[in-house]
This record gives sequence, C-alpha cells and structure tokens, in this order.
Amino acid sequence: MLDIATLTLAGIDLGTLPQQLINGILLGAIYALIALGYTMVYGVLKLINFAHGEVFMLGSYGALFTAWALGYGPNGNATQGSVVTLLLMLLGAMALSGMMGLLIERFAYRPIRNHPRIASLITAIGLSLLLQYGGQVVLLEGKKQSIPDKVSPFTGKLEVQFRKPDAKLLEDAKNLDAQVASAQAAFDEQLKFEKGIYDLSPKGEQLGNALDKVKKEQKQKQDEAQKDAVGIQVPHGKLIMLTVTLVLMLMLRHLVMKTRMGRAMRAVSHDFNAASLMGININTVISFTFLLGSVLAGAGAMMYSTFQGAPIDTFSGMAPGVKAFVAAVLGGIGNIPGAVLGGLLMGVAENLVSWAGYSSYRDAIAFVILIAVLLFRPGGILGSNKVEKV
Amino acid sequence: MKFWVPRIMSVALGLVLLILADRFVNGLSNDYVKLVIMLTGIFVTLAVSLNLINGITGQFSIGHAAFFQVGAYTGAVLANGMFKGLAASQPLAWLFLSAIFGAIGAAIAGFIVGLPSLRLKGDYLAIVTLGFGEIISIIARNQKVLGEAYGLSTVKIQSFFMIALLAVVTIAVCRNLLKTAHGLTFLAVREDEVASSSMGVNVTQVKVTAFVLGSAFAGAAGALLTHTKAFIGPADFTMDVSFIILTMVVLGGTGSITGSVFAAIIFYIIPEKMRDLPANIPLAYPVAALIAVFIAVAGMKKIQDEVHGEKVRSTMLNIACIVVGIVLYFILSRTLHIVPFLKKEIIGSNLRMPVLAVTLVVLMLLRPQGIFGHYEFSLDLFKRFFGKNKSNLEAAH
Repeated sequence: MLDIATLTLAGIDLGTLPQQLINGILLGAIYALIALGYTMVYGVLKLINFAHGEVFMLGSYGALFTAWALGYGPNGNATQGSVVTLLLMLLGAMALSGMMGLLIERFAYRPIRNHPRIASLITAIGLSLLLQYGGQVVLLEGKKQSIPDKVSPFTGKLEVQFRKPDAKLLEDAKNLDAQVASAQAAFDEQLKFEKGIYDLSPKGEQLGNALDKVKKEQKQKQDEAQKDAVGIQVPHGKLIMLTVTLVLMLMLRHLVMKTRMGRAMRAVSHDFNAASLMGININTVISFTFLLGSVLAGAGAMMYSTFQGAPIDTFSGMAPGVKAFVAAVLGGIGNIPGAVLGGLLMGVAENLVSWAGYSSYRDAIAFVILIAVLLFRPGGILGSNKVEKV
Repeated sequence: MKFWVPRIMSVALGLVLLILADRFVNGLSNDYVKLVIMLTGIFVTLAVSLNLINGITGQFSIGHAAFFQVGAYTGAVLANGMFKGLAASQPLAWLFLSAIFGAIGAAIAGFIVGLPSLRLKGDYLAIVTLGFGEIISIIARNQKVLGEAYGLSTVKIQSFFMIALLAVVTIAVCRNLLKTAHGLTFLAVREDEVASSSMGVNVTQVKVTAFVLGSAFAGAAGALLTHTKAFIGPADFTMDVSFIILTMVVLGGTGSITGSVFAAIIFYIIPEKMRDLPANIPLAYPVAALIAVFIAVAGMKKIQDEVHGEKVRSTMLNIACIVVGIVLYFILSRTLHIVPFLKKEIIGSNLRMPVLAVTLVVLMLLRPQGIFGHYEFSLDLFKRFFGKNKSNLEAAH
C-alpha cells in the first residue's frame, strides 16, 4: 500500500494531499471553463474582456433565479430536485450570461473596435464596475444568496481509501462512548437545577468540565486515528460537475475544429484583415465567440454555485474571473488547450497553498503566478513566445 | 539674476496663497466639508501622479491604490512606533517627515513594479499592476503589525497646508518636467518606444523613473491621508480606489495635468455630494436615465462616425441628441412606474459607482482621449475654441 502518510514535511500532513489535489482539479475545471471565454475573445480580438467575470456572476444569478422560479426560493416548498431541475438551471444560467456577453460586445466593444486597445480596456473596466455596482442596486440589494442544497438529487459521496484509519485507536475512541454518554447524562441531570448554562454552580461546573475533558479525549483519539488514513472523498455532485465540464470542453473542441463557424473563428484569430477579405463576416464571428465564451462561463457559474456551494452576490464574479484570467495567461492566452491546462494548474495551486497552511494567501497566489509567468515566459506554457515588432 | 527673480517671486506668492487657503479651510465650521476638501486635495495629488505614469509616460498602470496604501501604512507604522514622541510633540514637523517616509516607502514599491514594466506593455502591464495592488492589500490584511483586516489608528493631524503643498509640488514637478529635455524623453517613450530608444533615449530609465516618481507622490499622499483620517484600513485602498483614480486621469485627458486636476476635483466632490441623495428613489429614475443616456450616446456616436466636415450641422445634431435624451428621460421617468419591478425604492447613495462607471464607458465611446485630450487648459485653448489665435496654438504644439 501507499506509505506516504508516514512522511511529514515541515509539519505538513501529506495524508491529505490526494484529497487536496482532487479538490484542486475540481475547482480548476471551473476556472478552465471561464478561462476559455477569456482566451477565445483574446484569440479573435486581442482584447482582455475584463467584464467576463461579471458575465460569470450573472450566470450564477441566472441559475439562482431559475431555481427560485422552480420553487426553491426562500418561501418555496419544492421537494428534492431532479436532473431536470439541474438542466433547467444550467440552461437559465447559460441563457442569461450568453445574452449579456452578446450585449456587451455589440454595444460596448464593437463601436470602439478601431480605437487603441487601451480604450477597450478602460471600457471593460467601466462595464465591470457598472455591472457590479449597478447590479448591487438592482439585484436583491446585493445581499449574499446561495442556491439551496436540495436542488440536486445527487447527495451521495464517492469514497476511496488508500489506507484505513488506525483500527486500534478507533476502537479506543469508540470505547469512550459509554463514558461520554454517562458524563453527558450527569451534566444534563445537574442542568435541571441550574439557573442557566452560562451561570453554573460549582458542582455543575465540575460536571461540565468532566464532560468536556472526556469529549476532548475522544476527539483526540479519533483525530489521531484519522491522521493515518489516506483517502479521498468526492461528493457525487462534484463528479457530475467534472463530467459536464469535460463534455462541454469536448463539444467546444468539436465546434472549433470541425465546423464551418469554428474554421471561421480560427481564420479570424489567425489574421483579422485577411479573414475579412476572404468573405468571412467578422462581426458574426466575433459575436459568436463572445456568445460561446459567455455560455461556457454561465455553465461554469451554475455548477460553481450549485455543487461548490459558492455564495452569490454581485461581486462574486471578480475573484473567479481574475483567477481564470491568470489561468488563461498561464496556459498561453489565445490557446484553447492552454486555457484548460492553466485552469487545472490554478485550481491545484490554490488548494496546495491552503494545504500548506497559508490559506489566507490563497487569493494572492494567482497574482504571484501571473507575475512570474509574465516575467519569465510571457507566452504562457503552451503559447508561442512572439516578439512584438514595430 | 534675471532668471531667479520670477522663480522666487512665484514660490513666495504660492506659499502665501497656500497659507491663506489653509486659514480659510481651518476657519470652516463644518468638519465634514473640511474633510472633503482635504481628501479632494489628496486625490488631486493621486490623479496627477498617476497621470505621470499613465498619461505622460504611457505606461498603463491600474493599481495606483497600492502605492497610496504603502505610503499610508508606512506613515502609520512609523507614527505608532519609532516616532511616537515626535508625532505628539511636533505634529507639523512629523507630518512633513511622514510624507517623506511614505514617499520613500512607495518609491521602493514603485521601483519593484517598474521593473516588470520593462518587459511588458499595454494590458499585460495593467494586469500586473492590478495584481501587485491585490498582493499588497492581501499582505496588509494578514500581517499583525499592519492591523490585519481591522487597520491601524494613529494621531489625528489635519493640515490643509501640507496637503495643498504636496498637490502643488506634484503639479509643479510634472509641469516642469514637461518643459525640460528630460520630460521630452517621457513623451517620446509614450509616442513610440522603439523609435525613441533608437534616438538614444534610455527607455528603461525613463519608465522606472516615471514609476518611482509617480508612486512616491502617491505614497506621500497616503501618509497625509493616515493623519487626516487618523484611521486607515484595507477598505480605504481597494481596487475601486485605483479605478476611481484611473477614471479621473482618463476623464481629464491622459497627459493633461490640468485635466487631471479638474477631473479629480469634480469626481471626488460629485460622488461625495451624491451621498446626500434621498434613500428612497424609485428604481424607475436611474433606469430611465440609463436608457436616455444610451440612446443619446448611440445617436452622438453615429453622428461622429458618419457626419464629416460640416461642423455646424454636426454640432446641431449633437445638441438634438442631447435634447432628445433629456426629453426621453422626463417621459420615461414618469411612465416607467407602470412596471411593478421598477417601483422598488433604492438607496440613492448606492448610485455613486454606477454613475462613475457609466461616465467612463460613455467617455470612452465618444471621446477616448479624455475631456482635455493631450492639451493643457489655458487661455490659448479658450481662444482656439472661439476660432481666434489658431496659428499661435499650432506653433505651440
């Protein structure tokens, strides 16, 4: 069997490493979906669509409102959801963010396509501020919302154990059950004669301390037993999320590589002017690219808020958006497989940072990676390292 | 001899004016108005210093709040630690020193950010500066010395004289820089990096100098902010602050110092004024305004693209668009109440950032070079507007 659990590196618990890697890949799949939007838009327009994070945010709202419309709202009385519920939510999220992507392209980016790129960048910043703060005014006063758990019928968990927890210690912990129960009973009995739980007589306090002590001992034994275990747990919902992500990516690949529109997209990304001379309708292609990227972001948003349980407010698109952008740059911006690779790496890196005990810096790692990539390999991992000529 | 007389005279006059302004502000009875005037001064410094990086040197930096923050925290940490005695006994002397320390701290940060700018340009540099800002703010949020998420509190030393002096010095340095050969190299780098480097301009040095200078001024402003508010926390230096400073620079016109000053004053005071909006505005009003602005701007953009040459006609059409927009706003704001969703009442002061954002987008659509463009506000510009003195102006530019 694997024997990594006995290794400890500077106090880091290597036994939880497999679980953290899996979590990283699951999170990274979502980042990859968002990163695809950044990278495709950059591919055709050479524009960083700063408002993409906000498109993602609107996708979460699309999913939330669909769930509410289906009776999962604060006062709703719907029962456990089904696959159809989830599909409808997915469609709602994709529709809302796809529409938003199209509108942004048509009314904010198209009129200034011939201006210097900085103008588009500032417009994008303005748009994202407008969607964040304007959304805060309009949508539910910007209060944090989350999608109820019961929309998903997949409640199980996939568990794989590479190494079992220490059986003897577990046994010991179990043997303490009787002691805990008796201490609890004695304390509860005493509590009947007390004024309140925070106002105990000396006798009550003594019993309370005894209960705490025995509970602590049991917990310690359990923890010690679990420390030896090496395994992973993945909720079924997250597995579904990974599968859907993979399916969407395969569909995108088919679309880009095998269809007429995909060929037009590749042509525009290769040479904007030459493509228009060859009779490709540039505006249609660009609109389609925005639609595609936004729809993927919407799908990612629905899964992120449903299966990862991320709370939704109008600023919730900012952090995933920035991380996905870093993922796109890391993989090589403009490069579709690169975005997927970058997303997965970002997710894993973020989880490894919290695993190493620096969880408060987990948002900073994205920028550290970004700066390092831009300084040492500006083209990204899979991108080409072009020198900008005059 | 002749050269020095007007210099000394103007410096002396400036100092007298500053002291008078200081007297005036100190004489104000309303503490809130006093604070707003002081913060406006700080934002003038910030906008002009960002203009040095963005407008004059053409390096697109959108993380200016980071340097502001470095300066502010440097000032606060020193005032609470090493210089506690001085800050209590000699407040003004300490304020001066703290501005210098803040400037030094931020200049070091600016140097660090300036280095990657040697290899990056445009939007990549923008993202790196944004990322640097976030890293600084995350570090501040997690260090015990820096007060974590809560922040730091210090002695309150309010001096409009110092704030105004810093703003004037910043403006003077930027303005004088543009009058010298050193300043021309900054402009050359903005216009074309490769061409200027082949003409013997040390592009590396120019870019790093711009970053160091710009961030030093922002740092000094930060140190003054610390003592003006007596309390600073991570919330004072979020990404939004960077974006507000950027908006000021872009609106004023990248490269125009007077433009930055005007925009900073207007765009600090208008959002502050908007805090007084009633807390129960029906949603129909902002929605109506948004639709009206959208239609007017769409019309004006169309005129800009399709009507050429005939100045009178395009001006009339533009005015017509604005009138249509205003009329539309009045009609819509009265009629949109029919939609039940738009009856909802919202808090007026929440509209501050959306208004800024809409202004930014509209300006980018209609006049990407900003209100003043690369020009400075001067009598020449005024005369040109009325068709006089054209040759003179063309000679100047």
